[in-house]
Amino acid sequence: MIGGAERRKWRDTAVMAKARPIPGLTGRMSYSDAATATIAVRSDELFDHAAGVLDVTNIEAVHAMRVATRRLRSVLEFYEPCLESEQLEPILIQVCELADVLGQRRDPDVELEALAGFAAAASEAERPGIERFIDRTSEQQQQANAELAQMLEQVEADDLRGRLAALIAPSSAAESPAESEAAAEGEAPNPPGAAAGAPPAKSGWLRRR
Amino acid sequence: MKARKVKHLDPEGTLADNAQRVVAARIDELYDFVPAVLDPSRVKKLHNMRIAAKRLRYVLEVTSSACFGPYALTATKRVRELQDLLGEIHDCDIQLPRVQQIRAELSEDAAAELVGRAGGAADLDPALASGLPHSEDWAGLAALEHYLAVRRELLYDRFVTVWQDIERSAMRARLEYAIAERPSLVVSDTETAPIN
Repeated sequence: MIGGAERRKWRDTAVMAKARPIPGLTGRMSYSDAATATIAVRSDELFDHAAGVLDVTNIEAVHAMRVATRRLRSVLEFYEPCLESEQLEPILIQVCELADVLGQRRDPDVELEALAGFAAAASEAERPGIERFIDRTSEQQQQANAELAQMLEQVEADDLRGRLAALIAPSSAAESPAESEAAAEGEAPNPPGAAAGAPPAKSGWLRRR
Repeated sequence: MKARKVKHLDPEGTLADNAQRVVAARIDELYDFVPAVLDPSRVKKLHNMRIAAKRLRYVLEVTSSACFGPYALTATKRVRELQDLLGEIHDCDIQLPRVQQIRAELSEDAAAELVGRAGGAADLDPALASGLPHSEDWAGLAALEHYLAVRRELLYDRFVTVWQDIERSAMRARLEYAIAERPSLVVSDTETAPIN
């Protein structure tokens, strides 16, 4: 396992997923205008980091998306008083669920990375036990990856991106893009949490995974 | 751990004034874990302190340069350092029981095999304990367990040192001062000087 300084260095590199600056943000602007500007950037950040997250050989992708999810969650909570609570609540729930699932994938990712270093430094006699632990952790990673795949399908089916855009749209109390589109086609919108199986991808970010 | 509700937030007010209230509440949340976390066995408290640090960090990340005095940025870095360290401690607190769990499972398995080998005898022949299943795993699992336990101790010692540094540098007072500053509202002499 990677020890102190080396592992810290690794973590610091991992934390390099820097937050994007919010253009035009000043302390003098209104709290609600700041909400619009910030959430738009954090929302884009999240979906831009969705590429490659299901690839277990590229663990930085999950890390970047996880950090982006946390940042989005944090700003949604921070700007809560500026947002329509009926719209916000299901979004926040889904963002939290996504963060949890990404965290469940991230934990074994980090552990396996560290265990590889530990195994490399171990004696022959110690290796089988470490391999056993590695196998157990790999199973956990695979399971978490399957759950993440399912969660991402759900996020797309529920049009999280569209709902985030609607949340900060000028008349946020109005219907979301998914609802407008569904209404135009004469069908009911997909409720958050509904089984995937339905409406086709609206934003197409899922395809980039 | 749920974030505390912050009162008197006003969507029509300035970002800086609202952010000041939120950051002040998040500072309180973080500091409320002391002195509990100065006991290394308070695993849950340490974990919750990490969450509190994360909340403070992310709010500062968005607002510090736009709204507050320069120390807010310095504090953001210190809080991140604290969050990272608490994260490393948390990793050990999660991994150690998992290694112990595997050892316990394998040990149970080996004991069951030995009971089978005894076959109801009145006493146990020492030779029967040789070559039990999973014996090749013990050394590695024991090494991992010791590594994680000792690493956790070292990280915790470092956490105490970092926290003492934070206290000595009066981070709380300085950050509270910085969030009350409004540098973007200061009009410099040059800006107000009459044009000749």
